[in-house]
Amino acid sequence: MEIFGQLAGGFATALQPINMLMLFVAIVLGLVIGVLPGLGGTSGVAILLPISLFIKNGALPGSNEVTAIIFLAGIYWGALFGGVITSILFNIPGEPWAVVLLFDGFPLAKKLRRPGLALASSFVSSFVGALVATVLFTFFALPVAERALQFGPAELFAVFVLSFATLIGLGAEAPMKSVAMLALGLLLAAVGFDTITGEQRLNFGLVPLLSGIGFVPVTIGLFGIGEILASAEEQGIGYVEQISARLGLRDVREAFVELGKRIRLVLSNSIIGFFFGVLPGHGATAASFLGYGLARQYSKNKENFGKGEISGIMGPQSAADAAGVASLVPMITLGIPGSPTSAVMMAGLFIWGLTPGPVLFIQHQDFVWGLIASIYLGHLMTFILCLLAVPLLAMIMRVPYAIITPFIIVISIIGSYSLNNSMLDVFITVVFGLIGYWLRKLKYPLAPLVVALVLGDSTERELRKALIAGHGSPLYFFNSPLSTILMLGALVLVLIPLVRTIRARRRGAVARPAGVAH
Amino acid sequence: MRPYQVATAAAIALIAAVAMFDSLAAFNPSAGTAPGDVGARWYPFWAAAIMGIAALVVAFRVLTTPQAVEGVFAGRASIFSVLKLAIPMFAYATLIGGIRWRDGDINYTVIPPLGFYIATGLYMGGFAWWLGRYKIWWVAMILVAFPLVIFAAFELGFRVSLPKSFLYEQGALPF
Repeated sequence: MEIFGQLAGGFATALQPINMLMLFVAIVLGLVIGVLPGLGGTSGVAILLPISLFIKNGALPGSNEVTAIIFLAGIYWGALFGGVITSILFNIPGEPWAVVLLFDGFPLAKKLRRPGLALASSFVSSFVGALVATVLFTFFALPVAERALQFGPAELFAVFVLSFATLIGLGAEAPMKSVAMLALGLLLAAVGFDTITGEQRLNFGLVPLLSGIGFVPVTIGLFGIGEILASAEEQGIGYVEQISARLGLRDVREAFVELGKRIRLVLSNSIIGFFFGVLPGHGATAASFLGYGLARQYSKNKENFGKGEISGIMGPQSAADAAGVASLVPMITLGIPGSPTSAVMMAGLFIWGLTPGPVLFIQHQDFVWGLIASIYLGHLMTFILCLLAVPLLAMIMRVPYAIITPFIIVISIIGSYSLNNSMLDVFITVVFGLIGYWLRKLKYPLAPLVVALVLGDSTERELRKALIAGHGSPLYFFNSPLSTILMLGALVLVLIPLVRTIRARRRGAVARPAGVAH
Repeated sequence: MRPYQVATAAAIALIAAVAMFDSLAAFNPSAGTAPGDVGARWYPFWAAAIMGIAALVVAFRVLTTPQAVEGVFAGRASIFSVLKLAIPMFAYATLIGGIRWRDGDINYTVIPPLGFYIATGLYMGGFAWWLGRYKIWWVAMILVAFPLVIFAAFELGFRVSLPKSFLYEQGALPF
């Protein structure tokens, strides 16, 4: 019952006019970001992060930190929905989690000439997935946070290690590349003053580096500029299919009927997507592929997949949106980002002077419950906006490349400069843009880098606090059953790729692919 | 693909080596401030060590396993489309702050700081003219309209102060 009372308080906060206005603005921005192929949800949130600081500081009448987090989260909700529009109508994924919709969303729209039904099916299942995940969030978050309040430095360090191990063990890319990126993130986080002793390190005598390498300019560079460069390369290669963007009431009604036929799939994928999204570093993209795989696996019409099967839209969409919502759970309850986007939001909380984690639940209940309530409202608003504004959103694709691309770079530069009024940050953004583009090309995962960069300081602090408490003995990490279990879990996760490789070799499955050279 | 992968892994290993060298004080016994503390350099040293080892393993695996024949880029056109974006972006970032340095008491200015708004106008207008092949009046409109809209939204609306030009310092422009 306590939860219902707090949720009611959260709704009272979220429903304040300024919060609703900023939620609306953020969702519209998120939808636009989602539709634009060169700009992802993570980069969109990162670019607009400095604006959230001004919102938090009361730049708008009545705005505060709740308005700021609602604004950032709203961008993400908009992007989660918006990315599918271009996948279905243009065969171009607006977001990584919308790639899977190319398999059945685009065929349903083009070959079967039902673009409205494809879009409506996607929006309806996204909405259900997000709703299920938000309900789970509501009931899971408080108990997890209350348990986490009892964590000491050893348990907290073990949680960080487990989240890093998840990125390595369950990542899609080569595990050693994940390790290298993770360590690079930890290293970048260590630049500047040591927070415990005040000693200078890794600044090589350069005064501007004493304050460290900012998370925001690096993220804007890696994701914002990096994605733009990658899409610039694809512009010359791509061929844009275009389908009518009309979406009628008949399509919506039909989508609800189709949802009714697949309600078990959508609900189960939503729940699976939620628990998958809670794992650090994965978020919506991996969940969407998992959701597609599950939908196909348990379908009676397997042969229809790839030809416009509605389960191939509803399955991944419900899982992706549930995972998107779930990625906020570890951020809010434990101070661990569940996805690169939630890592950016977490950096926002640090910038506003808030510490994400269990203490936030106790000290800033209005903030946490306001956010949770805004997730319900935000998804409802996004759903309605999507149904009403698809033709307008599709028109964004007609904005010429020569305008939209430099404009995104301009906004990225504003984002990186305005946080610290620093031209160094602008150059960090530009340089990391090139680095991000290059690493992406060579299939180095960027999520471990970003997560490690945002968690680097906390990880070091808890490690050293634990070592001081244990008089330098590493055995201190195995003093409590929880930290022991977490550490062993991390070890198992790290060993997963190794076991996978050994098993594959034993089966002789490492066949030389076509078109390879020694 | 292989040479690019190896070169990238080598660059990461080199960064790791530099960071490890900078953090050698990790092995100073008086590094910590409290009994049990490992000191400020221990954590970056081992982070760099892990990064270096991982990069070397990546390089080793790339050298010893079959790799895709095709290169990193789809063709010369794709390299140019990236360069067309990257080079103006660097120029734009440079123009905002200008190019100047100080040697003793003398200030040298190669390009005066154009500030965010003038640089943005030139960048957006230049892009529209060069890549968009727009007519000159459209270019002129983009050149003027974008900085003004951004000024209204950020400087006046959100009260975000962005870098101003040398003309602002002389009182000739509001930005």
